[in-house]
Amino acid sequence: MNNATIVLTLAAAVGAAVPIALAALGELLSEKAGVLNLGVEGMMLVGAVTAFQTGSSSGNLWLALFAGTLAGGLFSLIHAFLTITLRANQIVSGLALVIFGTGLSTFVGKSVEGKALDTDFTAIRWGVLADIPILGPVLFDQDPMVYTTIVLAVLIRLYLNRTSAGLAVRAVGESPATADSMGVSVSGVRYAHVVLGGLFAGMAGAYLVLGSVPAWSQGATTAGIGWIALALVVFASWKPLRVVLGAFLFGFSRRANFWLQGEGVDIPAEFLTMLPYLFTIAVLVIWGSRDMQRRAGAPAALGTSYVRDER
Amino acid sequence: MASPELPGLEKSSSPGQVAAIAADNVTKRFPGVLANDSVSFTVYPGEVHTILGENGAGKSTLAAMLCGLYQPDVGQISRNGVPVRLRSPREGLANGIGMVHQHFRLVDRFTVSENVILGDPDQPRLLRPSEIHERVAAIGDQFGLPVNPRAVIADLTVGERQRVEIVKMLYRGADVLLLDEPTAVLTPKEVEALFETVRTMTAQGKALVFISHKLREVMEVSDRVTVMRAGAVTGEIATADTSERHLAELMVGRPVETEVRRGVSTGAVALEAQGLTVIEGGQAVVDNATLIVRRGEIVGIAGVAGNGQRPLARALAGIVAPEEGSIEIHGTDVTGKGPLAARAEGLAFVPEDRLGTGLVPGLSITDNMILTRKRSFFVDRRTARAEAAQAIDEYEIKTPGTEATAGVLSGGNSQKVLIARELGSAGEDQVIILSSPTRGLDIGAAEFVRGLLHEARLRGAAILVISEDLDEVRSLSDQLVVLYRGGIALSGPTDDLALEDIGLAMAGAQNEKES
Amino acid sequence: MSFQIGLERRYERSWLRNAVTPLLSVFGAFVCGAIFLSVEGFNPLTVYKALFEVGFTTRFGLTDSLTVAVPLILTGLAAAVPFRMNLFNIGAEGQLYLGAIFGSWAGLTLADGMPTIIGVGIVLVAGAIGGALWALPAAVFKAYYGTSEIITTLMLTFVALFLMRYLIFGSMSLWRDKESANFPQGRKLPPSARFELWSDTRLHWGLIVALGIVVVVWVLLRFTSIGFNMNVVGSAPEAARYAGISVSRTIIIALLISGALGGLAGATEVAGRAYALDPNGLELGLGFTGIVVASLARYNPFAIVVVATFLGGLRSAGLALQGLPGERVPVEVSLMLQGAILLFAIGGEVFSTYRLSIERSSAEVTA
Repeated sequence: MNNATIVLTLAAAVGAAVPIALAALGELLSEKAGVLNLGVEGMMLVGAVTAFQTGSSSGNLWLALFAGTLAGGLFSLIHAFLTITLRANQIVSGLALVIFGTGLSTFVGKSVEGKALDTDFTAIRWGVLADIPILGPVLFDQDPMVYTTIVLAVLIRLYLNRTSAGLAVRAVGESPATADSMGVSVSGVRYAHVVLGGLFAGMAGAYLVLGSVPAWSQGATTAGIGWIALALVVFASWKPLRVVLGAFLFGFSRRANFWLQGEGVDIPAEFLTMLPYLFTIAVLVIWGSRDMQRRAGAPAALGTSYVRDER
Repeated sequence: MASPELPGLEKSSSPGQVAAIAADNVTKRFPGVLANDSVSFTVYPGEVHTILGENGAGKSTLAAMLCGLYQPDVGQISRNGVPVRLRSPREGLANGIGMVHQHFRLVDRFTVSENVILGDPDQPRLLRPSEIHERVAAIGDQFGLPVNPRAVIADLTVGERQRVEIVKMLYRGADVLLLDEPTAVLTPKEVEALFETVRTMTAQGKALVFISHKLREVMEVSDRVTVMRAGAVTGEIATADTSERHLAELMVGRPVETEVRRGVSTGAVALEAQGLTVIEGGQAVVDNATLIVRRGEIVGIAGVAGNGQRPLARALAGIVAPEEGSIEIHGTDVTGKGPLAARAEGLAFVPEDRLGTGLVPGLSITDNMILTRKRSFFVDRRTARAEAAQAIDEYEIKTPGTEATAGVLSGGNSQKVLIARELGSAGEDQVIILSSPTRGLDIGAAEFVRGLLHEARLRGAAILVISEDLDEVRSLSDQLVVLYRGGIALSGPTDDLALEDIGLAMAGAQNEKES
Repeated sequence: MSFQIGLERRYERSWLRNAVTPLLSVFGAFVCGAIFLSVEGFNPLTVYKALFEVGFTTRFGLTDSLTVAVPLILTGLAAAVPFRMNLFNIGAEGQLYLGAIFGSWAGLTLADGMPTIIGVGIVLVAGAIGGALWALPAAVFKAYYGTSEIITTLMLTFVALFLMRYLIFGSMSLWRDKESANFPQGRKLPPSARFELWSDTRLHWGLIVALGIVVVVWVLLRFTSIGFNMNVVGSAPEAARYAGISVSRTIIIALLISGALGGLAGATEVAGRAYALDPNGLELGLGFTGIVVASLARYNPFAIVVVATFLGGLRSAGLALQGLPGERVPVEVSLMLQGAILLFAIGGEVFSTYRLSIERSSAEVTA
């Protein structure tokens, strides 16, 4: 009995982890370039509503996913324009994006309120591997987006650490002045990565609405995942593979309630939902000393605007 | 102004060889200043050619034009005999010209290799780390610059970081290297290592351009020297044919234009610093310095920028605590007690960073006057406003009013506000420290400031002026001190010191006779 | 030869520019909203007219707008105080919840039997303390370790959210109304801990308190040494050090004040609107909206009152419109407009902070 519940919980955790991981990976790219984008929640919602609308009118799952992704990317251009070209404050711009995105998506979603989609991401079974006890259903019987996410994380890691473009991004996030003096286009790199962040967030929102919660209802769709994604980037110390692992951990804490109750452990649901945030604070505290930050902390220029020769 | 032909001028290369890079009668103007006036310069493969001069002489501007940071308004830059137009440092590098600046352009968190290849257009999309590491190490070995390609910059010493900068240039194929004040941040041992490297590089055909003000090093490592002063070349000569004294004369010798003023000191010691040592980044930027300023006199600290002036001023003002030594104001020990304690004993400080340390650009003039006063729970603007109004009147400060934000004032006017605040705060017990008080001011404003200082002196204040303007220091100070590498290289009554000796001390050369 | 378009920082303050830019932003946002409305089939002019009528012209509309404005004024101040110093406390939302928790606790346990002024006073003071406590970790980490206050305050916001929900929905705590087993509700505060209402409207005396706090904050920033120090530290930390001002102490004070203001917002909501700890009634994004308010008001305390009333009106009108017959205006319009206004305002801020400079130059100049 217990075995089955824990396996189900773990498997569900993987599914829950996907949108968290996707959004966080996107935000990671943006922050590696030095741009903080608090508007993840807004971008996810925009992606979600676009995906839903596309899905309900076209019936094509992958088209809907694509549309949602694209919408997120376009939406993030606002943030990019405001913060990079107009040098506006990144925090306020991000928050404005959340507010605007929430309002906009709910507004646009009015016409499909309460409807449900009959699409679903069919799971991919990896044959014999899926029969391994415990690990099987968890790892080898998930929908394609799970595997896509893992692949993306690996690719991002490769990109950042092994390509010359990735080196340029990291330089822009650490020291825009140095990157600039070596001929790297700071605003070009920043624009590109903010938009990438938006694309990922849009994809995350689209996946949520098409896969996990195949219905559109105001407020319930993203349920704060955008904010968790922000926490996850910090928790994972800006490392892509850790993002995936952390997403699983966070996803597990969201799904663990049922299993814990079954085990007789009576932790209130609210405390479980708090866990991602508490974990992140713990990481900040433990790894918080100036010395540690120097080695494994945020990109040094995160949150700052770059103006050449500003006196 | 053409450079005077000096006898015995010999090129250290065979005739017919083409200059690796040359500037031909280049002129460069900035708003309000003629930085380079018809300057010519050449350097050949395999030689070291130094550009020597004080601050403001124009050497950095010339170097900037040679590497592509600036473009000349008039005149031509040529590479291997072919005229080129270098529109950016990147283009310069593409042409094989690389500059190592005083402030390194390195990303702290990256490794040596990563810094070397950042922005390199010749790298493949997918990097090959082992190849890069190998090549970096190979270049390091080839030119006597041992570097560990995998080391993180944050863990390296200053000398090691400089090596990385040089390797960076060499990796990208630079044949001409410009080094801007390279020994400014190095220990003597590291300087020796650098010179070894230089010899290795020239032996392999690289052309090196040094920008420096340090005579001893210039003599030791260069083949030729071009001396600049006030934007023009005063001499170009082979090191073999000259001496430190000769170079010093070319560097600083000129008629004193400003009026000489002297005070009469009462002899009472107002400010005394003994054995002051300040450590920054592991190095002693102020090194066992001893200073005495008496009431009624002005002590001037001369020296080329970067020799410890800023740390010394900050230590005396109490902003930074010295590692060793003591500071006494009117006999009271204030060492390490902070700026407020020093202020309480009568210290006033006019920093060289006017907007940002001295004044807050976003605050009004009135509010800036309050900044260094003692404040109770409620801020008293009435008195400050009256003071501000009086200062505006007395000092003829051009401003829309007392509530104008300090950031809109011109350099001269903001300096006047700063001085008004500092000079106005105490009486004859004043000990005033000023850093570069007239830098950036027009002649009228500069004269005004000097007049103020003279008057304060006559009132009995003790004044310490730290300035890069040697003329100013010599005309105003009763006692003159030369700062070199954080230590006192020379000191004595201004009128007793010969100009050449001052120049030599500023440039780090030891003099035969003791002072 | 190339043209270089650059941005140069401006230092002069221009009242005209500071006032006009937000107005233009609002205008731009409304135009943008009009486009969206038309696309979805609504007539923008009708919608806007309805919004304004309901929000500001009717008696109930106006008082409702002011009621919603009360916490917005306080959260606006909570954002403005540190933001002026480049300290970004985005946790006002969480500090509001903590203020509500502390305030309602004080009201439930201490205020019974007291005269109303004291009763309410206890609630407010407790709320301020709660909010300040919630900002303390972020303050300490920032001041002594340089840890980003953005992240710490954001994380604590969600911890506060779930804590509050737990107290009412997840347990039978002190705050919970024991008789509401099926529909969890907060226990009602005694009458002595409630703000009196103004005649038959929903407007309560909390408005006066909020306005009073505005004046206090203004005096603090402009006339006290604390405010002076904050201005200096925010503008030029090196000058602050040189003037003997302790930068870390100033940071902590600023963030604690900010937290207290957020806590006060929560407490006034408890004492004025819900008379209980009411998560549903509190989870309105008031803390985040406060940041919008502060930004639009260019961090000026008095402008915050105006902006808070305006945005409060938009919000309450939006809600009210849902129930009206005729044009079914979605409530999200006001949320959208809010976001759009802020986006335009941020963009417009560029023109206040920077001057466009077009130089004909031949190179980038690095000093």
